[in-house]
Amino acid sequence: MKLKTALSAAITLAGVTAGGQALAADPMCGANTGEAASGDPILVGGIHGNAAPGDFSAATDAAKAYFDCVNANGGINGRPIEYIIENDQWNPELAAQAAAKLVNDTDTVALVANGSFIEMAVNAGTYAEADIMVMASACAISECFESSNIVSTNQGPLPSNLGAVMYAREELGAENIACIGLNIPNNGIWSCEAAINYMEENGGTGSMALINPGAPDVNSALLEAVSSGADTILINQPAGLALAILKAAEEQDLRDAFNWIAPTPLYDLSIPDQVGEYWHGDVYVNAELAPFQVNGPDAQNWIAVMDAYARPEDPRDTFAQAGYLSAKFFTEMMLEMDPADVDDRAKVADAIRAIKGKTSDLMCGPYYVGDADFHMPNHAGYMVKIIEGGYEIVRDCYEYDSSYFDPHLKLEAEMGLQ
Amino acid sequence: MTRTQLWNWALYIALMALILGWLGWGKPFKIQGLFLASGLAVGSLYALGGIGMVVLFRASGVLNFSSGAAGAAGAMTAWQLAEWGVWPPATWLACILVALAITLAYGRFLAPRLAWREPVVKAVATLGFALIILGLVSFLWIDDPRSITLPTDKMGIKFLGLRITVTRLIVFFASIGIVIGIWAFLAKTAIGLQMRSLANDRDLSALLGIPILKVETIAWGISGVLAGFTGLMFADLIRLEPTVITFMVIPSIAAAICGRLDNLALVLIGGLSMGVIENMLTLSNALKGARPIAPFVIAAVVLLYSQRGTRLTFGGRE
Amino acid sequence: MTRLLRVTPSGAAGLAFAAFAFLAIPLLAGKLWLSVFTSTACFAMACSGVAFMYARLGMVSLTQVGLMGVGGWVMLRLNHAYALPFEINLIVAGLVTMVFGWLLALPALRLRGLYLALVTLMAAGGLEIIFATFQFPNGGEGFWGVKTGSAGAFRRPALAQSAEAYFRYTVALVTAGFLLIEFHRRLKPGRAWALIRRSEAAAMSAGVNVTLYKTWAFGIAGLLAGVSGAMLAGSLGLLDDATFRASESIMLFALAVVGGARYWLGVVIAATLYRILPALLNNWGVDADLSFVIFGAGLLHAVITAPDGIAGQLGDLLRRVVRRPSKDTPEDRPKDAPA
Repeated sequence: MKLKTALSAAITLAGVTAGGQALAADPMCGANTGEAASGDPILVGGIHGNAAPGDFSAATDAAKAYFDCVNANGGINGRPIEYIIENDQWNPELAAQAAAKLVNDTDTVALVANGSFIEMAVNAGTYAEADIMVMASACAISECFESSNIVSTNQGPLPSNLGAVMYAREELGAENIACIGLNIPNNGIWSCEAAINYMEENGGTGSMALINPGAPDVNSALLEAVSSGADTILINQPAGLALAILKAAEEQDLRDAFNWIAPTPLYDLSIPDQVGEYWHGDVYVNAELAPFQVNGPDAQNWIAVMDAYARPEDPRDTFAQAGYLSAKFFTEMMLEMDPADVDDRAKVADAIRAIKGKTSDLMCGPYYVGDADFHMPNHAGYMVKIIEGGYEIVRDCYEYDSSYFDPHLKLEAEMGLQ
Repeated sequence: MTRTQLWNWALYIALMALILGWLGWGKPFKIQGLFLASGLAVGSLYALGGIGMVVLFRASGVLNFSSGAAGAAGAMTAWQLAEWGVWPPATWLACILVALAITLAYGRFLAPRLAWREPVVKAVATLGFALIILGLVSFLWIDDPRSITLPTDKMGIKFLGLRITVTRLIVFFASIGIVIGIWAFLAKTAIGLQMRSLANDRDLSALLGIPILKVETIAWGISGVLAGFTGLMFADLIRLEPTVITFMVIPSIAAAICGRLDNLALVLIGGLSMGVIENMLTLSNALKGARPIAPFVIAAVVLLYSQRGTRLTFGGRE
Repeated sequence: MTRLLRVTPSGAAGLAFAAFAFLAIPLLAGKLWLSVFTSTACFAMACSGVAFMYARLGMVSLTQVGLMGVGGWVMLRLNHAYALPFEINLIVAGLVTMVFGWLLALPALRLRGLYLALVTLMAAGGLEIIFATFQFPNGGEGFWGVKTGSAGAFRRPALAQSAEAYFRYTVALVTAGFLLIEFHRRLKPGRAWALIRRSEAAAMSAGVNVTLYKTWAFGIAGLLAGVSGAMLAGSLGLLDDATFRASESIMLFALAVVGGARYWLGVVIAATLYRILPALLNNWGVDADLSFVIFGAGLLHAVITAPDGIAGQLGDLLRRVVRRPSKDTPEDRPKDAPA
């Protein structure tokens, strides 16, 4: 945590000195008028999961910071956004209750920057029924990407796995991957299967070894992966479990016998320190948003917004970037709407579905929503390598090339985005 | 050794051979060896947790669900001190001291107020305490990937094709050492004698003038030290996540049940067998998904087997 | 017959409370609180099973929430596999879970006290792993019925399509569950249980079939758990394994003790603490970790200071206020209506 804050400060400083714009500390938000908004608030909700197994609140924290900044800068046509955040505490009932409160009991026009492991599975039906759009930011399960009313800025495990596997096949010579996933159908199995399919489509092969999330032992899954005959091991796990697997592999001194690749969860500024020197230079991680050293104008603005409006202890990580982006795209869309319609949930939902072609240096591709039963606008990313004290970019923005994205590409072609 | 005991041992060995033979059938010996060794490594952690529970249960009649939480608090303290650059051995000591302090606080101030309740209520009350500690620990340290590394992680030996680190050897031999040490303590010292008498009959022991408070405090102290040590080992070998360490008590109870909450040597053997079977299940395509179920099934079978033939008609105290 | 249908003061209060819940709560509560109250009612029914086994037979079951999962699993499985009405699914879910309860009763014939509790805890641990591994059916193919993507539709009962009606439906079922226990208590099984609780030897010498009545008790607890799990599934339309961890079963038992296992009010208090308090704390924006601390501290405090549970304390208080000192022994107070 300390490291993250320090690093963000360093990034800000780098932005100031290198860019010479000296604007990094001066955030740009919404209409950017510099005048505080007043009048009737526009209600926007957000649901995160923050309790025992993990904290998914970074995205809503960042969205809150951005909306505060918007409210201090003219709001939506002079009206402030009231951002109501609920915590599902990883409990399906609380998740349903959060949606009941935000969607049924409150006149929210949309939900923004949701981040949770279960909320989307529980509430996808509620959202569709109420026809409210959810511009989520921290999704991990299939429901989030394969339902009509949820669109997420982050990629989730499936595309990120594909990106990692694609890099391993093209650059590291991988022919047989073993995917160590969580034994959860809509997370681990769903995303490991896609990675294996990709390998098989490209003349390779793959297998999966699964871990029960609550089980203490990661060794047996690692050994299963090792004895599968793979040349590459894909650690498709949350950061904590991924650390445990790397540690078990270090115990066996397996580093040089395999290629080690992972999706985004391992892109976390605490990781290079915690994995230890043994792994520096040998673990390749897919980053679904721009790594910190890219530091374009939007990345700098994100840090500026966080520094000005977020609490110092709020994380500055990938999920926070995704939350910032969702809030930013939402605000831009609201500003483009007819001011008379911004309180109308149905019209806001239509406007969100019409979003297309929004770009940011934090994301490789354009952001769009579209009217479909699936949404996955973000399917291009970076590849980085864990080194001492941070990450080194080994491959710049690249599109993931898999048949999984055929329907998405078709939708993009229809929307004229290709 | 009586005839029944011999029979039980023979049955145990035959069953283990059968299960392992069935699971490992047709697999290369090297792979079997890998999973066997890895199972022993996990099993010794189950055993270590179980031993700590049994030591306290025998002396105080409390099955302590909060030992995992105490260990988690200790491990997080150790991690924090290490981040601040404190000399490593001091952080390990801090881990044990924090767990000791937490456990003693419960044993000294809260447990006596429940002394007259049934064992089950005493046990579930410790869960309330575990929630308090877990809540505080999660509040103090926000969710973030963390790990603890001990210098012994870097050293290791090869066993059945698996590299076993010195840390795992420490856990393994510590469990054996603790079993022997506790046995000697109970058998040879005056306090040990008093503990055994408390375990047999509390009320009679009190009548005999045994200083219950003192004896119990010592028992809580021993269990606190064990909780701290176990927490540190879990943090290093499993994961440094407070929730995971806290709820490791549930499979640990399974190991404790194998020793009928009484016999430490059986707890050790039970814990090791659970670890081995759980790991060997990875070799079965049908069962590998649900392999963490092994400790619970084994414990239930052991409990039922050990009570076979008894009918609780005139049973006295529980 | 008159004895069977006699309404005690406590029983009358219980029925009045149920009527209030049935009539007034749907009018007063928004969607959020309706959802909270529905799930509270489901857990009250499950809790009544644990509480009655503990209060009437001195048996501790630490599997109740796991059994709810079984009921919920069967309900979802049937819902997605066949087009049967909700009520039939509900009955099947209850019966299947009852059979599970009987299976659990097998060890109960030999074990008691802590050991019985532990073997039920092992069952809960096993169920937790099963649920985590195979998940709950959501409309997929095959035996386990799990698919990725959005879950299939859930058919609520014809009588209770809206959230308000579903809450009333649940309250009616919960009341029926409480009455089921109360009738049992007043009939032959109740007398047998009372004897068994005192001494199994005495019960046996009096000609009571101990095996039958212990198994019966487990069956009732299983039935209640199964129905409540099925109702919970209907409330959300799907279930998640996180609801049915072994630690939740321990928690439900602990709260039954805290609330007062002998009283209907105790069970309601337990369910309130289990579901409404966390929702309130969450609604007030209390940090989730700190609400753990508050919850744990409350649990410890109540276990230490209220041996008869909070409901028992309230009862004593009420009696003192009314100045009608109770002459009954604590064991046989007649006014402790439904357990």
